[in-house]
Amino acid sequence: MSVLSVNLKHLYQRIGLWLTYLILGLLVFASLAIALDRPLAARGRFMGLVMLQFMIGACIASLSAEVLTKPFSYCLPGHRAVPRKFIFSVAAVTSLLGSLLFLAYPGLHGWQLLLVICSAFCAGLIMYWAAVAFTFGIGNSAWGMLFVFLLICGALFSDLHAAAERAIVGAPLAIISLGLASSAVVWIWLGKSNWARKFCAVSRVGFFDLGDRDRVQEFARRRAAARPDKFKNHPSPWVERFFLDRMKNCDHLGPGRCIWGGLYTTYGMAVSNWRGSLFGLFLWLAMMVCFSYTLPEGADILFFMGGVVVIHMRLPVYSSMMIPGSRGERFSTAAILAGSVTLLITTVLALVAGVSVALAPVMPDITFGDEVLTFHGTSLRLLIVPSIMIPIFLAFRLIVFRKPFSTLASIILMMAVMFVFGINSSERLGTLTNPTSTISLSILGWLILFVVLRHICMKRSLVGQSRTY
Amino acid sequence: MNNANPIVQMRVLSKRFGKTEALQDVDLEIGPGSIIGLLGANGAGKSTLLRHIIGLYLPNKGSCTTFGCEAGKLGPAQLGRIGYVHQEGELLDWMKVGQLIRYVAAYYPNWNEELEEKYVADYDIATSARVGSLSPGQRQKLAILLAIGFEPELLILDEPASTLDPVARGQFLDLLLQIIQNENRTIIISSHILSDVEKVIDHAIIMKAGRILRDCSFDELKEEFCRVRISALSGELPAELPFENVIQRQQSNDQAVITVRNTSPEQIEQTAESLDCQVEIQTLPLEEIYKLVVR
Repeated sequence: MSVLSVNLKHLYQRIGLWLTYLILGLLVFASLAIALDRPLAARGRFMGLVMLQFMIGACIASLSAEVLTKPFSYCLPGHRAVPRKFIFSVAAVTSLLGSLLFLAYPGLHGWQLLLVICSAFCAGLIMYWAAVAFTFGIGNSAWGMLFVFLLICGALFSDLHAAAERAIVGAPLAIISLGLASSAVVWIWLGKSNWARKFCAVSRVGFFDLGDRDRVQEFARRRAAARPDKFKNHPSPWVERFFLDRMKNCDHLGPGRCIWGGLYTTYGMAVSNWRGSLFGLFLWLAMMVCFSYTLPEGADILFFMGGVVVIHMRLPVYSSMMIPGSRGERFSTAAILAGSVTLLITTVLALVAGVSVALAPVMPDITFGDEVLTFHGTSLRLLIVPSIMIPIFLAFRLIVFRKPFSTLASIILMMAVMFVFGINSSERLGTLTNPTSTISLSILGWLILFVVLRHICMKRSLVGQSRTY
Repeated sequence: MNNANPIVQMRVLSKRFGKTEALQDVDLEIGPGSIIGLLGANGAGKSTLLRHIIGLYLPNKGSCTTFGCEAGKLGPAQLGRIGYVHQEGELLDWMKVGQLIRYVAAYYPNWNEELEEKYVADYDIATSARVGSLSPGQRQKLAILLAIGFEPELLILDEPASTLDPVARGQFLDLLLQIIQNENRTIIISSHILSDVEKVIDHAIIMKAGRILRDCSFDELKEEFCRVRISALSGELPAELPFENVIQRQQSNDQAVITVRNTSPEQIEQTAESLDCQVEIQTLPLEEIYKLVVR
């Protein structure tokens, strides 16, 4: 079996990719539906598959980068040249398939149609190369995710996709030239003799590692080690004094020390870095203001973000760092932390929603082109949402702590829930604003968390096989 | 190991992870005042056994009691008497070293600040550095300090010296010997660096595939095996050497090297005399004894 064939096997052997395929499949379906349902020219309706090339390029480059960072791959004979073949093979196939959608483009025939398909093929390649360059250029794929999100938002707001479609159809020769030139540049870049060396044994957080806490921590540790001490964050002396004094005031045989210790390790950094926390609050507020103008129902999404906040929260259950806390104390500490984080997030949301309601009468209308945007106050009725979602997410994290892929899946699931409930959701949210159902759901969520927590703390192994929570 | 008042007692303890039988019917008693070497290959079950002692793992079958209490129900009173250096080296990376020491010290009313200061000075630990930026060796030194700072009665060391340099390993072994000066202290040390371990242990437990193969004093283990270099005083050695319990043999015309088990020096010398040859008896290093036990 050739080295290239071995690399291509990643495409079906990697479990995380199947989730990506599912998402890609949905996006392909949506792109086809948008284009074929109403095949209108010059509206950007045919750009779905071309834009999707960016995501495919990012995934493939991330896979290649992962392989390249393994020291053995640098040493294996003939392996250094394989990423280029792998990346180009996938680019050719996917761009070709994506460009075929232009067969349905209205008003094109004969050689003109052929030219536009070639142009769409090259446009797909350009998107793909942009993603490849971006992915290899950054060490942490979280930035890539943020960039994709901003790119999608930017394209939607500025009609960039429609402009790009007009360029593909109107100036095919220019796009083809650009596509061929960029392909040549990437071919030379990926073939440079010292290129593979730059990645050998370098710590990276790949697209598929985003849910892998160990990998992310290792990356952060190495990055921290390389930075001068003055830029490193650590608890402020007054925060340390506050928590340690409370710990020492508790009886050493009671649960108090563990509980205060848990609060210190959970909130110590957030309180010390209070400016950063305030900035986060400000960002939340800014998002709320933005949504309140453009998509009032979308502001409800903010109530679901509590789940995202806790998805990486570490309840002090699985830990091999020895402190004199019994299993029972691990349970009580974790339960108190879960309650406190829910209370904190609900308070912050209440504050944000309260500010929104207070601002509603005084905020001016904004004219954006032909459109007049009016500020709508955020509803307070969804304040119960964090107390339903947070315990369920914490319970889920406790169960799947050893499976980073599940964390990634849960983040995507969370996004889907936010999308379904947040967009055009007045009727659906009606269920959540009914007091009986919300209180029942909240009680159910906490019951699930306590049962799972109790079971793990009292009956299960508290450290994994060389993995941390 | 038979003790009137064992601090750790395991009875027919078994643990499985999925289809893997990590520990099988382990019976073990550990008394106070000794340094116990826990030896075994990767996957032999050493870490699993140690984690049962402090209740991080619960057995599927059998029982484990530590300080007279079921390990899964150990409370602050018992856990405050146990120090544990773990294989993963899990620490709070976002704290400064000094902050982490103060944080852990806050849990123990008997934290020994003098010992802490001495250790920090001897091991050159930078208390102002961030834990996350420490090298693996420095992290290990810090983990050891956190485990001994409250002078535990039972100190469990799971691969404690794997990332230490030779000088630090030497210091660490000296430290263990200092700790054991107090006769009530017990140290269980699991390590692959057998040449280090044999300098300090007085008891050995050898594990293989989740079972305990040997549980005896280190002196007993050393006496069990020996290597005999035989040289013919006149002529050649016979093709079949009449020594008892030979487990390894290399022979040329007039010389042979054999490894014997459970054979006393007197027996060896008598046999050598009858063959008209000279013998030189050597004890084996722990590494070789270990290989012979687990083969």
